[in-house]
Amino acid sequence: MIEPNIRTGTPVVRVTNLAKAYGSNVVLRDVSLTVPEGSVTAMIGPSGAGKSTVLRCMNLLEQPDSGEIEIDGHRINAGRKPNPKNLAALRRSAGMVFQHFNLFPHMTVLRNISLPQERVLGRSRDEANEKSMELLKRMGLAEKADQYPSRCSGGQQQRIAIARALALGPRVMLFDEPTSALDPEVGVEVLEVMKELASTGMTMVVVTHEMAFAGNVADELVVMADGGIIEKGEPGQILQDPQHDRTRRFLRAVLER
Amino acid sequence: MEMLRAIAIGLPLTVLVTVLALMIGTVLALPIVAGLRSRNRILWLVSRLLVDLLRGVPPVVWLFILYYGVSIGAIRLTALQAGVLGLGVVAAAYLAEIFRGAISSIPKGQWEASSALGFHRATVWSRIIGPQTARAVVPAYTTFAIGLLKDSSIASSIGVAEIVFMSSQYARQSGEGIMVFFVAAGVYIILSVPLGLLSRHLDVKMRKAVAR
Ligand SMILES: Nc1ncnc2c1ncn2[C@@H]1O[C@H](COP(=O)(O)OP(=O)(O)OP(=O)(O)O)[C@@H](O)[C@H]1O
Ligand SMILES: [Mg+2]
Repeated sequence: MIEPNIRTGTPVVRVTNLAKAYGSNVVLRDVSLTVPEGSVTAMIGPSGAGKSTVLRCMNLLEQPDSGEIEIDGHRINAGRKPNPKNLAALRRSAGMVFQHFNLFPHMTVLRNISLPQERVLGRSRDEANEKSMELLKRMGLAEKADQYPSRCSGGQQQRIAIARALALGPRVMLFDEPTSALDPEVGVEVLEVMKELASTGMTMVVVTHEMAFAGNVADELVVMADGGIIEKGEPGQILQDPQHDRTRRFLRAVLER
Repeated sequence: MEMLRAIAIGLPLTVLVTVLALMIGTVLALPIVAGLRSRNRILWLVSRLLVDLLRGVPPVVWLFILYYGVSIGAIRLTALQAGVLGLGVVAAAYLAEIFRGAISSIPKGQWEASSALGFHRATVWSRIIGPQTARAVVPAYTTFAIGLLKDSSIASSIGVAEIVFMSSQYARQSGEGIMVFFVAAGVYIILSVPLGLLSRHLDVKMRKAVAR
């Protein structure tokens, strides 16, 4: 019974036989992946491998050509047009954090976090603000509540974006290179928050080039190349002894930088 | 003093034509933008052709067509109606392009974040895209409004008694030709400068708040 919630946890995310092409450019071929409850999955791989596309298909920001996606019991089949209720439920179960934060520039930090709660969960403004302040405190950003995002550093903006997603109570958090747009020192602030989140048992899928995070925080490492998963398993194992030649080349390129 | 009186009589109609045409243009521009952004090829094509048609013909010709050419049953448009309507529909075409440009200047990430958060379409427009579009559109919109203020003089060609109409009439009757037009020019400038200042002020203020 080591790590019970990870090994025996029911999958929160289940992606089956996902495929996607843009015209003749095949971006994903037959990707399958399950993410157990409470686990952290890191996704690495060379540029253009299809990492972002997998993540974006998970909450249907991108419509896959075929395959099936299930998050927290809400299942969507790529072949059929998604039922709007089901799509909304699936999206509510998944929080997404983008490389470029995508905060709403015309709203204060507090409104950024409260508005989705009011609109999506139907919370009252007071309830929403209370939850927002609680999350901002957790992110160490309570004093930024009334500022506009443009007055915040990149690291602060990304933590605000994390708070905005968390405020909706997602079952899984999807991160697409959350620190790639940040200076390394600032990226650390964000990684700390993500580590803390992982330690509280949040299920997470993280596309990243931060090998230290992938090695130390992730429970499972997924290596993608050319639209497919070429290797997955225990992060330490893969980083030390990659089985696939493509993985070896990628790791060498990243680590020798 | 006769001269000032003539211009003072024209002034309200200049303002009225401008304001009404701007209102009609703004309202009609919205469905046209929807058409220009539509994925339905037919809707798109119809809107595209409409915009090009409205912009391709000189406004004065539209006014003539509406004033002399349109008779719906026994109804004929008055000069004022034809002027306002003609300038309004032409304005709609230009404003549609201005709005479309402003909407597409909003980063894709705003749409993606909205979808990922699970906002309904109506919420995305009313809370995220709409307000940001409104901000983005202020400079171009006021520039257009100032242009329209001056172009409202085109309505004089079908007999709307606005500033230019009254000025020419005065010039013809009094025989002291050019002076009245200098005064008219001054009045246009006095009307448009504050608009320009207001626009700049709004723009700077909003930029300060939301600068990326
Ligand atoms: N909207 C799109 N239209 C056409 N092609 C696209 C689109 N989005 C992505 N692609 C292509 O899909 C492939 C995979 O892209 P994706 O963004 O998933 O890669 P990635 O692994 O996230 O790479 P990176 O590390 O650079 O972010 C690339 O070849 C890219 O050019
Ligand atoms: Mg990517």
